[in-house]
Amino acid sequence: MAGRRVVIIGVASHWGRELARRLERDPEIDYLAGIDTGSAPADLGRTNFIEADIRSPLLSRLLPGTEAETIVHCGILWYPEPGKPARVLHDVNVIGTLQLLAACERTRTLERLVVRGSAAIYGCEGATPYFFTEGMARTLPLRTRFQRDISELEAYVDNFARRHPEVACCTLRYQPEIGPDLGTPLVRYLQLPVVPTQLGWDPRLQLVHADDATAVLEAAIRSRTRGAVNVAPSGSISLSHVLRVLRRPTLPIPHPLFGPALERLGRRLGAGPIYGDGVRLLRFGRGVDNRRLLDEVGYRPHFNAETAIRDFAANARGARISRSIHPGDVVGRFAGAAR
Amino acid sequence: MSASAQADSPQATAESVADFLRRVRTGIEGGLDPVTAANRAAEELPQRLARLVQLLSRRVRGDYHEDEWGFDEEFAEAVYPVFEFLYEAWWRVDAVGVRNVPAHGRALLVSNHAGSLFPFDASMILLAIMKQHPLPRWARFLVLDWAFVLPFISAFMRRVGGVPASKHNAARLLEQDEVVMVFPEGVKGTGKQFSERYRLQRFGRGGFVEVALRTGSPIVPVAVVGSEEIYPKLGNARPVARAVGAPFVPITPTFPWLGPLGLVPLPSKWRIEFCEPIDLSAHGPDAADDPRLLFDVSEQVRETIQARLYENLVERRAAFFHPL
Repeated sequence: MAGRRVVIIGVASHWGRELARRLERDPEIDYLAGIDTGSAPADLGRTNFIEADIRSPLLSRLLPGTEAETIVHCGILWYPEPGKPARVLHDVNVIGTLQLLAACERTRTLERLVVRGSAAIYGCEGATPYFFTEGMARTLPLRTRFQRDISELEAYVDNFARRHPEVACCTLRYQPEIGPDLGTPLVRYLQLPVVPTQLGWDPRLQLVHADDATAVLEAAIRSRTRGAVNVAPSGSISLSHVLRVLRRPTLPIPHPLFGPALERLGRRLGAGPIYGDGVRLLRFGRGVDNRRLLDEVGYRPHFNAETAIRDFAANARGARISRSIHPGDVVGRFAGAAR
Repeated sequence: MSASAQADSPQATAESVADFLRRVRTGIEGGLDPVTAANRAAEELPQRLARLVQLLSRRVRGDYHEDEWGFDEEFAEAVYPVFEFLYEAWWRVDAVGVRNVPAHGRALLVSNHAGSLFPFDASMILLAIMKQHPLPRWARFLVLDWAFVLPFISAFMRRVGGVPASKHNAARLLEQDEVVMVFPEGVKGTGKQFSERYRLQRFGRGGFVEVALRTGSPIVPVAVVGSEEIYPKLGNARPVARAVGAPFVPITPTFPWLGPLGLVPLPSKWRIEFCEPIDLSAHGPDAADDPRLLFDVSEQVRETIQARLYENLVERRAAFFHPL
């Protein structure tokens, strides 16, 4: 049973907002609050917006006052955004989580803590288990800043969980999400009119459908599952297959040039660069085992790895193949010659 | 009937292809996308060509299935003829005891490993099951980690059923009732000198027995004769290996002297024997924690394969020259 008093940290983020919107409809929840910097998201109704920076010690004074029973941490940043450059990421993710946990220590009413983390903790390597289970975190070297941050903040959460057995703590390890209006670097990458790929590589991917991604958050706060839980669709799909389903022409680039090329091309075509972790993901791919999600959280994703992509293809806006490089012209020319 | 008559003459085929291209063009001008246009126009083509065009357009559109391991059955079928040629003509493989591979359910095939550059032995075992088993099934194989950090090769291996060598991968595949091939010798096997051919190396830490016990899978020992002559490794270019991060770079009578031509495997005569399955289900999954049992079973499997290797070497007679 979810607590009747829920506080969402990072409510201005996409996932925080989506969750708040869902919980607002739930009559069982008496009190719903959202904490974030900046101004309140316009489309929220009964959510009390509290303006506070997760990195500030102010949180420790604010949070106990809400008498929260459930706290959902949606404030972890996966990639730099306008106004949140790479430098800020570490502060928000690690220091922010520490401040939040410190505030949780003082919140005596707390029963449930859900952290929206990332499957990046497993890393991306060539030869790995094809389906990481929750116990395999940190068995591979932590190569990127984001990976190290995620690993560090999970360690803090674990530590908190040990010291407070009365609080059921759960870290959700999300694979990257996919949805037409998410605007994440990966989604923008898939919407490029010509998609650069790494020559000779074809990563296995699991992209979480946006609907499932929100529903898992809700399912997680209703369950009492403790520890880490992988969030991923069943199955996996290779990037080449994804791009064919999306009808995107590809441009294979030798992998050392992929990152820089994407940065240039991306800027011209309206997609940002893909950061360290993403470049490795698009070379080696990553698959995780989702049995804990199914059995213990009790959530069965509506989309599997392939149908998530097909649904995205059906709903995605974005550039179509431009007329100037239409393959039909090439075929037409051959047809003329064959006469 | 008229379609097959058309297909007989090359002139008619050329004409129907020209006609096909014209129809594609009209289709595109009529506002269809090129793939749909080609697909529709293909209906009038001779049957074989039509099927090819339809297959290609399906592939281009991503209307195919790959399983959660990235195994793409259609792709495997497309490259099958190449390996079939190697099986039939190049290595003239004789397969014995294929029926020892269970027709249903999980099984762990354990084999000797040789042939340094590409797991040809895995592909030939796979073909033996596909061609000679009364109920053919695609076997999966565990591949040396190193292959999965290489471009092209990693993607290819995955599509035809290879997965990185890891206990977790093997166990999960077996739980899904697949036939899984392992080569416990690993690099020690592929990288051994020509003078040591058919002498089995140490069988790792017996991890394969652990997986078999945990998943309750029977072990089928497989002895492959012939694979150890395809790349007679005389030396190891150690500095090169170190520079590219490879476990070894073989020096053979033809490689690197003949350049890429030296990569052509020698046409030795092959024999593959599938031995009686070893049923471990009586021990139960908890026995997987007993190191002594692991070593005992591992040794038993190793000895079986070694003995069958010697037998089959005699049966096969000469490695290369066979009187017709």
